[in-house]
Amino acid sequence: MSAAQMICTALLLGLFVLLAGCFGVLYCLGRLHADDKLGRAAAFAYLLQGITTVLLAMTALDFWWKALLLASFVAYLPIPPLTWRLLENLYKPGEQHS
Amino acid sequence: MFRSQQLALRYFAAAMTLFGIMIVAGLLASTHYVQDGFMLNKLDFSITKTLHIDTMIIWLLMGFIGAVYWFLPIELEREVEGIKLAEIMFWIFCAAVAVVAAVFIFVQYGPATEMSLWFINQGRKYVEAPRWAAIGITLVVLVFVYNVVATALKAKKITGIVGVLMVDLIPLFGLYLIAFPSITNMSEDQYWWWWLVHLWVEATWEILIGCIMALALMQLLGTNRRIVETWLYIEVALVLGTGILGLGHHYFWIGTPSYWLGIGGFFSALEPLPLLGMVVHAVYDAGTHRMKTTNKPAFFWVMAEAFGNFIGGGVFGFMMTLPQINLFTHGTQWTVSHGHFAFWGAYGCGIIAVIYLALQKARDAQQLDSTAWKWSFALLNLGMVGMVGALLVSGIAQAFYERAMGGSTLQAFMEAQTNVWFVQGIVMRLVFGLVFAVGYVILIVDLLAIGRKRVATENFKARAAGGPA
Repeated sequence: MSAAQMICTALLLGLFVLLAGCFGVLYCLGRLHADDKLGRAAAFAYLLQGITTVLLAMTALDFWWKALLLASFVAYLPIPPLTWRLLENLYKPGEQHS
Repeated sequence: MFRSQQLALRYFAAAMTLFGIMIVAGLLASTHYVQDGFMLNKLDFSITKTLHIDTMIIWLLMGFIGAVYWFLPIELEREVEGIKLAEIMFWIFCAAVAVVAAVFIFVQYGPATEMSLWFINQGRKYVEAPRWAAIGITLVVLVFVYNVVATALKAKKITGIVGVLMVDLIPLFGLYLIAFPSITNMSEDQYWWWWLVHLWVEATWEILIGCIMALALMQLLGTNRRIVETWLYIEVALVLGTGILGLGHHYFWIGTPSYWLGIGGFFSALEPLPLLGMVVHAVYDAGTHRMKTTNKPAFFWVMAEAFGNFIGGGVFGFMMTLPQINLFTHGTQWTVSHGHFAFWGAYGCGIIAVIYLALQKARDAQQLDSTAWKWSFALLNLGMVGMVGALLVSGIAQAFYERAMGGSTLQAFMEAQTNVWFVQGIVMRLVFGLVFAVGYVILIVDLLAIGRKRVATENFKARAAGGPA
């Protein structure tokens, strides 16, 4: 791996997780405010994460790391909706003290 | 107020004092990078760095202990068992820290003998405290474990949170025992030393702050116990599931077998997943409560904790955790950048949130708000983001010029130290460090004043009406 490749790959890896965070936050905000625009922004963030995954697939990382990144990309998709559903079930009306 | 809560307030005061010393030591250490020969042979970089790191560990530990002493009597509805012993241990802890700091500053180093290990410095990063002080810290933690377990047993009440806390205290205590051995084989020593550092920071401390945050959320937002306990169990499973073998990312280059490259890389890559769940939870909580709370500073610091943990631990950690990247980045300012952000996000913000919560109760304030906390919140976080950004630039320059281009030779190391990107990053780190320090001063001023005004006004009104003050 060359010096430039190393820096690009590292920054892409950071971007990969950052976009996952953006996806999660925008998804949540979209559901909270019932706002389709935010929902679309969340989908766009996930799309960007997908593009980042493709770019990472073109780096000099070993095959198994690329496979792991692809699996992670897929695994990030259900986390916000599943977490949301779990929280909604937990916070059913009457469950709050305040 | 329970006696253990008064003790908690003393722990918080000690933690905030050490937080200040940590910042001063950090500023001195960063000045060493900027100005050659700064305090040469008086207070060298090795000393200021040791002070900076060790006070960071101790202020967070004191914050955790204080938080547990604060919440435990509320949770178990009784005074903490063995409180007198706990109070004595607090003063022993403070005295030990003061003596160790004085030895680090004034004695600094000694001959390569057992005497130095016992009385000056054990020489192991993060746990440099000489052996007598390490024994003292062990006793403090042991008494702390006794307080929690005995109180729960006496109360005949073990809630989900207290149960998790009790189990977590076993490795918290046990792992610290690794601070003692002086193994002469470097690889073997590092192998066990990382058990202490990693499994404290990325396993037991994560669970501890999880328990503390669960208790804090019940007080701050009135969240139902079932919710926080369910969430705590999920968090424990995910954090331990990914964090324990994530230990492997420290084993890449210390002479351990090569299978650690795969194990460490794989589990480290999974570590951001639970952090994303925590961010989603934070946004959900903030949204459902419409940012309304009686304790705004605590609320915002809890939010900062969730986001800081994700960005500092998740994003900054993931950049450099795969072995092919870590080969170039480990031990550079890149790692320092990740370390600063992750510690601040995961633990520092959480402790500050708990202190604000405790002060609200201690000062009997219905609403806790001020202008100062907003300034300190902004400056501390701006300072931290600026520092980690500047360190990232320096770290990238090091990884690029020294490691990848220069092949990690001594000459490449020296050349990278004078590289313009590295130097500018280091200077900006100092500048943002000063911003952080200003934020700290305002934080302390605010902690001393917030919530007092209302109490003072009511006392005045009571006196004016002829009633008891």
